[in-house]
Amino acid sequence: MEYRFPSELKYLQTHEWVRIEGNVASVGITDYAQHQLGDIVYVELPEVNTTLNKGSSVAEIESVKAVGELMMPLTGKIIEINNILADKPELVNSSPYGSGWMIKIEISDKSELNDLLSVEAYKEVVNAEKK
Amino acid sequence: MITDLKKTPLYDIHVKLGAKMVDFAGFSMPVQYESIIKEHEAVRTNAGVFDVSHMGEFLLEGKDVIDFLQYIMINDLNLLEPSKGQYSCMCYENGTVVDDLVYYEEAPDRFRMIVNAGNIEKDFQWLTEHIGTKNVKITNLSKERCRLAFQGPKSDEYLQSLVDVDLASINRFFFAHCNLSGIPIFLARTGYTGERGFEISFDNIHAKNVWGALINLGASPAGLGARDSLRLEATYSLYGHEINDSITPVEAGLFWLVKPKEGIDYIGKKILIKQKSQGTDRVIVGLNLLDRGILRENFKIFKDGEEIGYITSGGYSPTLKKTIGLGLIKKQFKEEGTQLEIEVRNKSLRGIVVPTPFYRNV
Repeated sequence: MEYRFPSELKYLQTHEWVRIEGNVASVGITDYAQHQLGDIVYVELPEVNTTLNKGSSVAEIESVKAVGELMMPLTGKIIEINNILADKPELVNSSPYGSGWMIKIEISDKSELNDLLSVEAYKEVVNAEKK
Repeated sequence: MITDLKKTPLYDIHVKLGAKMVDFAGFSMPVQYESIIKEHEAVRTNAGVFDVSHMGEFLLEGKDVIDFLQYIMINDLNLLEPSKGQYSCMCYENGTVVDDLVYYEEAPDRFRMIVNAGNIEKDFQWLTEHIGTKNVKITNLSKERCRLAFQGPKSDEYLQSLVDVDLASINRFFFAHCNLSGIPIFLARTGYTGERGFEISFDNIHAKNVWGALINLGASPAGLGARDSLRLEATYSLYGHEINDSITPVEAGLFWLVKPKEGIDYIGKKILIKQKSQGTDRVIVGLNLLDRGILRENFKIFKDGEEIGYITSGGYSPTLKKTIGLGLIKKQFKEEGTQLEIEVRNKSLRGIVVPTPFYRNV
């Protein structure tokens, strides 16, 4: 099984991806994560304007068989959520890096960006898990 | 880390198809090939093939088999006839369940029995230790034979092209010994999906040929994930969930299995007959959520803050496109339309008691 991991994104060990655009970070789960969960049937997203710390659980992702969590990759305020997922959670499966995005964060502390993984480092995490 | 998991004769095929393999009752089994929802839909609209070779298969022979089963089983063997199968439970003296299973009468002195994978050793021992002086011999065929479920609205049409028996002549719960592309098989019109279909069993050496023949007809491989979502929609009990060694069949809604069997003593009879006539303090009901979320096993159920039970099985229904669940609750809250609260991790969601089965097309 080959998974897609776009090189322009940053990653977390817990299988989130992060797209940085200025002061805003878009976040979703990786192709590997959506595949591990299987058919996603419900995503519970946070309220907009909530401020959360890096590493805290921000969303729940329910598949037919399992439940996963989305972790805050960075400390910040939730400024937008992907409301389309309420009716089309399957977008997380079909387009994990596109229309299946979950939240946008206003970054509080840019120094935390240094803790995110490069695509190469994340691929190693996935390879280690697959064994 | 996979250590010493048992493999069915089709293990290599599952891996080659890219299935996600999981430990189920000590077997490495495919939970899904590509998508549980697609496999579920294939069974509801076309046909699916499940490898259920992890399940147990016993042959019971001897002139006292019927007497023996009448003593062990809660259902009534007098309702059975040759070439027919029967669903039943065998229970402990306190009415809780050793296992639920299907047995087929091949002859008055020869029965084939299919039991749950996780209970094979326990069942074999339970049966053996209750034979006493009766003339019954039990053979465990589980490892020598391959078992497949072939389920879906097109299963008749597809299968008819391969077998030398008129499938229309086999009614639900009846079976035949016949040939599939020349391979001798046991074929029963039974299933666990709520859809018409068959369950077959045959010698291991033919496993890959039979699997390949069924797939070539246009059926989809279907894994344990779809098997579970299909049976939950159809509201079939799953051992370890709706029934186990602390829940009785009456509590689980299987009161229709408890037969009076006048003049015949059977294990668990006293308490089960009493429960059937007087009711039980707790019962299993169907549940939906009024809020968004997914019901899962073991979530606690409350009514006005008081804990009244728990979810025995829950999940997403691909057919109904919403969450469904079964809950074991105090009987006073079992009426349809009763609103309950269900603790979903850290929050409380509103649930409602609904009629079951959620979906069935047989």
